[in-house]
Amino acid sequence: MTKYFNLYLKALITNPHLIFWAIIFVEYWVLMWAYVFGANVPTYEEAVKNYVSAACGSLTLISLSSAATGIAETLIHSSKSIKFVTKYTRLSPPRFLVENMAASLAVLLIVSAIMFSSIIGVFCHKFEMMVLPVNPFGLIATTLLSAIFLYALSAFLSLLVVVLKAPKSASFVQFLPLIFSFLAYASLWVDLKIFAYISPFNCISALVYHYFSGEQPIMGGLLMPGEKEQMNITLTACSLITWTFTMLILVVILLRKMRGIGIEEIRLV
Amino acid sequence: MISVEGLEVSYGRFKEPVLKDVNAVFDGKSLILGPNGSGKTTLFRALCGLTNVRKGKILVDGVDVEEIYAKTGVVMANFPEVLSLLSIKVLDLIALYADLTGGDHAFAREILFDLGLNETLLKSKKLHELSAGQTKAVCTAIALSTRAKHALLDEPFEQLDPARKNRLIEHLRNYGGVIILNTHETWLIRNLANWKAFFMFEGALYGSVPVEDLLKAKFSFGEEAKTLFRMVVSGKAVSLVREGRGKPLLSLESLDKVYELALEGEKR
Repeated sequence: MTKYFNLYLKALITNPHLIFWAIIFVEYWVLMWAYVFGANVPTYEEAVKNYVSAACGSLTLISLSSAATGIAETLIHSSKSIKFVTKYTRLSPPRFLVENMAASLAVLLIVSAIMFSSIIGVFCHKFEMMVLPVNPFGLIATTLLSAIFLYALSAFLSLLVVVLKAPKSASFVQFLPLIFSFLAYASLWVDLKIFAYISPFNCISALVYHYFSGEQPIMGGLLMPGEKEQMNITLTACSLITWTFTMLILVVILLRKMRGIGIEEIRLV
Repeated sequence: MISVEGLEVSYGRFKEPVLKDVNAVFDGKSLILGPNGSGKTTLFRALCGLTNVRKGKILVDGVDVEEIYAKTGVVMANFPEVLSLLSIKVLDLIALYADLTGGDHAFAREILFDLGLNETLLKSKKLHELSAGQTKAVCTAIALSTRAKHALLDEPFEQLDPARKNRLIEHLRNYGGVIILNTHETWLIRNLANWKAFFMFEGALYGSVPVEDLLKAKFSFGEEAKTLFRMVVSGKAVSLVREGRGKPLLSLESLDKVYELALEGEKR
């Protein structure tokens, strides 16, 4: 690793924009899930466990995608420098990608750890019972895969803005992963059927739900009455892995193709 | 050596080219003189591979600039936009680029000390928190400290006081590699003996001539017989002559004034 990894990690951890969106904003939603949305949840163990697992699935998405907005911002703002260093320093495009991704993943995992700890603490206070993940290793693996996916998605979107020379869209695009995460909330009320596998965001919340509760996730409509079709975990994981690899390949292609946008061009719009 | 053949660059497919049929070979220390907005920085961006080239070719040591990846120590530039990889304190930024390029981070600090930037400032401020002159000094120090084979210096003397300008000139004289330096200020001509000079007006590059030939050179409007170059400024023919009638080049502090001369010539 070069000094880039350490300094980028330090810059991300101390980035006030990222701290606000990835920690303070997410804590607000943890409190909402516990005390507002959870006001009418029956207090028997099975119901609480299901509710906490569903909350965990949705909050993981919000938490990772909030952190991804900060990562997207740094990529767009330093795109000209990225192009330059990948050409004229020992940070080749693959090496840049590995170091940038490693530092970003470290941040995404720290943010997730803070969120999981606060979910356990806040929900324990609300329901007066401690709900812990049934399969912590599965949960860690899912969080890692989800973090890689969200990193790749936000890097892809940022580089697309740069390649298409569309600095006007920069601030909208950096929030797209967060917007998609909120749209994935629809699955709580709507049966997504086959789209449950197609949407990578739904796959993330379904896998987190599965490893937290030990139950099979459903295709959607968790909060609606009636019979629900269960999701196949292998198929769900395969869908998320495919999305992640596709995004990573696109990032590598765009990284070579882009020439960068100057900071002034972004400021001017 | 950097060679440029028939280079044409524009910012947008249907826009007027910013660089028009530029041809040059940069194999020593070269000065590109031109007014603000003449395309000097765009040329540097193109030489670094940071701009879409519409036509032509740029070769760095015989390799197409488009094909260059992870070639440490070949090219370094002093624009803030290429040195803003991370929003971190200046001292960390110097260490980062020294690590990535195999450069000498103590040398960068030595240059900055010569240019009046102290350690406390470098430790406490980020690049975008510095004044324009300080930002330029930091970027130039980083570029020189990498000891790259080709250093592209965009207006490195901007907003430096005269004493510090002299110190920077010493560093440029002692630099071991190729330097391409662009500026709109003419005072440098007196101080850079043995350099080559190019002129850039409205996206066209003219030259080169030895800097010594410019010491008595004059701008003359219209076609002159014994010219160093004939250029086109605001659609008018301008000749740079070694001697004879005209406005001495060194009497213009900045090449921006050539446009004023063109206007005066039109009135007459």
